[in-house]
Amino acid sequence: MKRTLRLARVLLSVQYAYMLEYRAEIALWALSGLLPLIMLALWSGAGAAGELSLSPAALNRYFLAAFVVRQFTVVWVIHVFEEDALQGRLSPYLLQPLHPFWRYLAAHIAEQATRVPFVLAIVLVVWLLGAGTSGWPPPSSLLLGLLVTQLAFLLRFLLQSVITMACFWSERAAALDRLLLIPYLFLSGLVAPLEAFPPGLRRLAGATPFPSMVSFPARLLSGGEVDLLGGLATMAAWMGLLLPLYLLLWRAGLRRYAAMGA
Amino acid sequence: MARYLRTLRAFWTSALAAELEYPANALIELLSVLGNLAGSLVLLALFYGRGHGLGGWSWNEALVVLGMYTLLDGVTSTLLQPNLGEIVNHVRTGSLDFVLLKPIDSQFWLSARTFSPWGLPGLLAGVVLIVVAAGRAGAAPAPITVLGTAGLLLCSALILYSLWFVLAATSIWFVKVWNATEVLRSTLVAGRFPVSAYPPLLRTLFTLVLPVAFLTTVPAEAILGRATLPWVLASLGMATLSLGLSRGLWRHALRYYTSASS
Amino acid sequence: MSIIHARGLGKSFRVADKQPGLGGTLRHFVARRHKDIPAVRDVSFSIEPGEVVGFLGANGAGKTTTLKMLTGLIEPSAGAVAVAGFMPFRRQAAFLRTITLVMGQKQQLIWDLPPLDSLRVNAAVYGIGEAEARRRIHELAEMLELGEELRRPVRKLSLGQRMKAELLAALLHRPAVLFLDEPTLGLDVNAQARVREFLADYNRRTGATVLLTSHYMGDITALCQRVLLIHRGRLFYDGSLQELTQRLAPYREVCCDLGEVYPPQAFAGFGEIESLAGHRVRLLVSRDQLTATISRLLSTFPVLDLEVNDPPVEEIIGRLFREGAVG
Repeated sequence: MKRTLRLARVLLSVQYAYMLEYRAEIALWALSGLLPLIMLALWSGAGAAGELSLSPAALNRYFLAAFVVRQFTVVWVIHVFEEDALQGRLSPYLLQPLHPFWRYLAAHIAEQATRVPFVLAIVLVVWLLGAGTSGWPPPSSLLLGLLVTQLAFLLRFLLQSVITMACFWSERAAALDRLLLIPYLFLSGLVAPLEAFPPGLRRLAGATPFPSMVSFPARLLSGGEVDLLGGLATMAAWMGLLLPLYLLLWRAGLRRYAAMGA
Repeated sequence: MARYLRTLRAFWTSALAAELEYPANALIELLSVLGNLAGSLVLLALFYGRGHGLGGWSWNEALVVLGMYTLLDGVTSTLLQPNLGEIVNHVRTGSLDFVLLKPIDSQFWLSARTFSPWGLPGLLAGVVLIVVAAGRAGAAPAPITVLGTAGLLLCSALILYSLWFVLAATSIWFVKVWNATEVLRSTLVAGRFPVSAYPPLLRTLFTLVLPVAFLTTVPAEAILGRATLPWVLASLGMATLSLGLSRGLWRHALRYYTSASS
Repeated sequence: MSIIHARGLGKSFRVADKQPGLGGTLRHFVARRHKDIPAVRDVSFSIEPGEVVGFLGANGAGKTTTLKMLTGLIEPSAGAVAVAGFMPFRRQAAFLRTITLVMGQKQQLIWDLPPLDSLRVNAAVYGIGEAEARRRIHELAEMLELGEELRRPVRKLSLGQRMKAELLAALLHRPAVLFLDEPTLGLDVNAQARVREFLADYNRRTGATVLLTSHYMGDITALCQRVLLIHRGRLFYDGSLQELTQRLAPYREVCCDLGEVYPPQAFAGFGEIESLAGHRVRLLVSRDQLTATISRLLSTFPVLDLEVNDPPVEEIIGRLFREGAVG
């Protein structure tokens, strides 16, 4: 236990130092997640709030929350893993008594920590620009929302990790991420609140893990009404499905990696 | 000049050969184009389904803008991303040294070295969408209008290229593992919609700072026969300015690189 | 008329100065500190056309930096340099057609394609006609003993084959000056020998000037009549390899087979022990003490056999860098 704590501390602090070296880029990345705010502008321009049974203030809060959720659920493990596998860095990792999963997870968490100041700055700017007049959600839902955001991150990380296993079979598996991004973009609630969807599309989205990744934590964070237990159960169910799948694929992938002599 | 043309041919035939080593990518890219297009159409339908529309543009006119965006995204996948995305790697691995020692313009080499056939479906889909939607919007463009639109699209492509190149060139200062250029791509999704759909502040931003307006809205206006001289001139000016900027910045970056690399 | 001429060449770099650990990270984040590190100081030499010159030095001695200044990849912070009559840093097309740079740890061939495709690109870039390019590829491939490997994707080639293909790509435009940075890095002994033979052959046939750095003394002894030794950024020696070994190693190697096994202490006062294994001991003995030491050895130990040699060059240079005793 002590060893685990020490390992986590060292891993996180080294990764944090590493990420700070890339802070200029991470700031740019933070800027790249502005999509929810662009969508907010479009939806308010379209005067949609009334019809979505959301007040303009709630719409503002929703998209601002979606922005924050998006910032802290960014996952890029597939790209790093592909690179590591191709450059032969994976082999030494495999020889160490630590599953590479944890290494990548630590890197992501460290990157999120690096993002914090940039995200706060952007939220502040948007706040001052007027979205903030819509009020601030109570601290309890704020705290709960941030916690669930971390769960959403874990879910996304797990999902991408499963896709990442394709790297064992192909040299360009990272391209798959582009495919995964499409349903994430359109079904998660990032570009439109799920209320705006026609019922059929909404049911379709509900059958995927994507709304758990943005819509659910964003509604919690913005103080909207949610089925908390139902949402958490959905997340748990998806994780329960993905984790064994990941472990299975990881084992099969390693067998192949070893057979290829890479 | 003849040498540059011959070089370009050698570049692209070898690039084509390299890409064909990964046939599965064709399928992934095709699915990605279709998926993105379907998602964008549904999203657009969400706005129009409620009768509000976007910025005073009719459904078909908005589709023309979406077509322009799809076309430019195709250009991005075909040329910009494969070439300019590599600059970071050239700097990181030091293979930029080889480029600099070639008796050919280094910006040309870095910008035209390769091309990806997988962006072509996007190009095609964009053109089809423009033609169909413009027809249904009641536009019957004269040949001169079509030619002018093509010219404006060329300006869009040049603006996009220059922005991307400038961002990629900064990797000389911030050597890094990830691609800052992907950031640009994600920010430009704002160009899926007519610029007048945004609130005034964003409209200004998208015209002057991030010239999204010139990328899709201006060419769309042109093909719909609504081009105005000031906008056409502004587009030309913006293209010239950003191209000059990219050239100047590259020279400056090289001076820095060659005095600081080890 | 020398083809490479450097006078008072110098270069310093700015580097970030960061302490390890979280504290250091945060301090570095808030206020970055920099240090100017001189990499090369006041280096002067001239090289005549057709010479093969070895560039020696420990890691970080300034070899690569100097090489980069000679090729125009970095701008000198001091001094002047001319290569084939050009100022390298201007990187004029005519200059770039005259030189080539091969780096053992970097590659220019396209990873996913056979070398022939990369060669076609290079031919176009250097403006070499297609028939002419084919002729040159054929000729160089023969010298390098490359055949169907040129039609296999680079990622499927062995390191040795890849290096030979890299050389081919680097020489397609018939450069008059070759800069080679660790061209045999990581190659096995056979492949190293083949690359060496090729370079010697190429130099003989074309009269090209070659400047190479290498960690393998074998490369240097096989190829170079002359060496430049750079140490801590300064030019420490410029002359023939033989003279260098004599100057640096006023030692000879005395190798004895003894009738009994002795502990290392037994040889104190005779010379430095180079190796001691069972009955056999190798000692480094300074030249002026040689005869006296041999007669003492013979009278002290039951010597069965005795041999006197020049120590191997690797040993001499290795000692030099280990001790840092230069100056």
